[in-house]
Amino acid sequence: MLAAGLAGHPLIALDGLTKCYRDVRALDGLTLEIEPGVIGLVGANGAGKTTLLKILLGLLTPTSGRARVMGFDATRQGTELRQFVGYMPEHDALPPDLSATDLVTHLAQISGLPSDAARERTAEVLRHVGLYEERYRQIGGYSTGMRQRVKLAQALVHDPRLLLLDEPTNGLDPAGRDEMLDLVRRTGTEFGIAVVVASHLLGEIERVCDYLVAIDAGRLLSAAPLHTYTERTGVLLAEVEDDEGGAALAGALSRLGLRVVADGRRVLVEVADSQPYDAVRDAVVDLGLPLVRLEQQRRTLEDLFRDRPDGVTAEPPPGALR
Amino acid sequence: MTAERPAPASTTPSTSPPAPVAATGSIYDLGYQRYDGRRLGRPFAIRALYIHSLKGTFGIGRGGRAKIVPFGLLALAVVPAIVAIGFQALLGRAGAAGRQIEAPIRFDTYYPYVQTLVMLFVAAQAPELLGRDQRYHVLSLYFSRALRRSDYAIAKAAALVSAILLVVLVPQAIIFVGLTLAGRDVVDALGENLRSSPAILVEGTLVAVLLGAIGLAIAAHTPRRAYASATIIGAFIVPPIVAAIIGQAARGDLGRYVVLLSPGDVLEGLNAWVFARLPTNQTVARADLPGPLLLAVAIVATALLFGAVLRRYWRIAA
Repeated sequence: MLAAGLAGHPLIALDGLTKCYRDVRALDGLTLEIEPGVIGLVGANGAGKTTLLKILLGLLTPTSGRARVMGFDATRQGTELRQFVGYMPEHDALPPDLSATDLVTHLAQISGLPSDAARERTAEVLRHVGLYEERYRQIGGYSTGMRQRVKLAQALVHDPRLLLLDEPTNGLDPAGRDEMLDLVRRTGTEFGIAVVVASHLLGEIERVCDYLVAIDAGRLLSAAPLHTYTERTGVLLAEVEDDEGGAALAGALSRLGLRVVADGRRVLVEVADSQPYDAVRDAVVDLGLPLVRLEQQRRTLEDLFRDRPDGVTAEPPPGALR
Repeated sequence: MTAERPAPASTTPSTSPPAPVAATGSIYDLGYQRYDGRRLGRPFAIRALYIHSLKGTFGIGRGGRAKIVPFGLLALAVVPAIVAIGFQALLGRAGAAGRQIEAPIRFDTYYPYVQTLVMLFVAAQAPELLGRDQRYHVLSLYFSRALRRSDYAIAKAAALVSAILLVVLVPQAIIFVGLTLAGRDVVDALGENLRSSPAILVEGTLVAVLLGAIGLAIAAHTPRRAYASATIIGAFIVPPIVAAIIGQAARGDLGRYVVLLSPGDVLEGLNAWVFARLPTNQTVARADLPGPLLLAVAIVATALLFGAVLRRYWRIAA
């Protein structure tokens, strides 16, 4: 369904990608392969997200290693590659004294679209991102939300196969954020354009992406389909009404040979088969404790950053990503 | 344009999502349309940027206020040409005696006059041309497209040089037409004026290229318009003063060659050489440097200055 990429080439292939600025390692040996989809690139501010996007565009030259995008060498074939890539920068990048229509038409021509096609596509794309009458007004009078839409429109106007979005919800209010995320999601799923969304907000990534790449201090933390992060874990959570009850339950369960961690009213039990469920039920009944909650815990994306192991935990990217 | 292209197999125009239009009636949501038309690549992109920039230099497409300075300066450049034509017409009526008097503004005296206006034009418009894109971070939108950084610099330089050429050649064209029509015999006058046209074009190009290169090299290095304008004006007016002072004080060759530091003086000397007349500027007349030397200096300076512009755009963060 997704049209990105030369046949047989992965969307993005990084091999030992490293970028150093004077004394800072912005990217440190990234090796990774990504298939088309809506890909979240997540990391704290300064983790190297923007640096990675700029290398993928061929705007920055890596210190070592290689980046291939849709089969193009990003460093040496940047000009060819950029015909098929749209980029929405993080910072404001719009001249205030042009109208959205004039700017986007001009940028479409810079992308090589003939003048007539540039005008047509501009009208379509601006409508698609939700700019109507105001598109004839000078950008200087636009709200942040409208400016973000213009930035998205200029990235889409030449119909790229890959869209690189750097913090697309920056500066937006909650409603604007929802609309922008919805646009990103639709662009990726309905229009068949591969999207990489860089963000420091896990919640946003969770809402729009189906694949997640996490980097921290320039190193790859993890890369896998989103659902693998939020799968059930092998931990059962039982919550009773007070701390003493919790301690009593933990004691009873550990006497049965289960691995237990007591956390106040909450007791975490390691689950290997269905036996712990029965054991918890029986123990609660025996001790006469009021059971508040019994559930299998889910991991959240936050765990990824909280329980970060020392090394790199790149799971091999599963090929199937739809 | 490129050998490799992502396979367009599944990129045929698809109107996704399927539009649920009929039921609700008026709104036709065609969704996002794929584009599978022609992509004209870099040459077209450079041309588009050139035209956009040339228009921008005159404030076209950018609101009324942006037009005041460029069109005002253009008008100031044109006015003396019109005065010259009127003067010539009056002399023509005065008969044979009048024709003995030389008109004050002719092809060959026009450039020294208009140089100041061109300098002001460059100081005002070069920072507009280059500084705006830096100030508003628009470069990242350009450089993330199929355009090389050098393409950007070339298109912008061509736009500024073309704009200056317009400012210097439009008045010359007016003088040309006026002198031809005011002549006793139009055919003779046309022939005579045509003999001047290579010099008009050569000197006009030299003015546009050298002054443009100075403006570009300075404006490329700062997003701030005020700094750039002040520096450009400084680069135009300080060297001739220095050259005049040193020329008065120093004896021998130093006093002569110091003229080469002043772009205005170099162009004045070139104007005299190209039109085969004596320079009106005393410093330049006293230095009496050979035309080929002045030409070589102008070419080398232009190359170095444009090299600085290219270097800036290779390094600038985008």
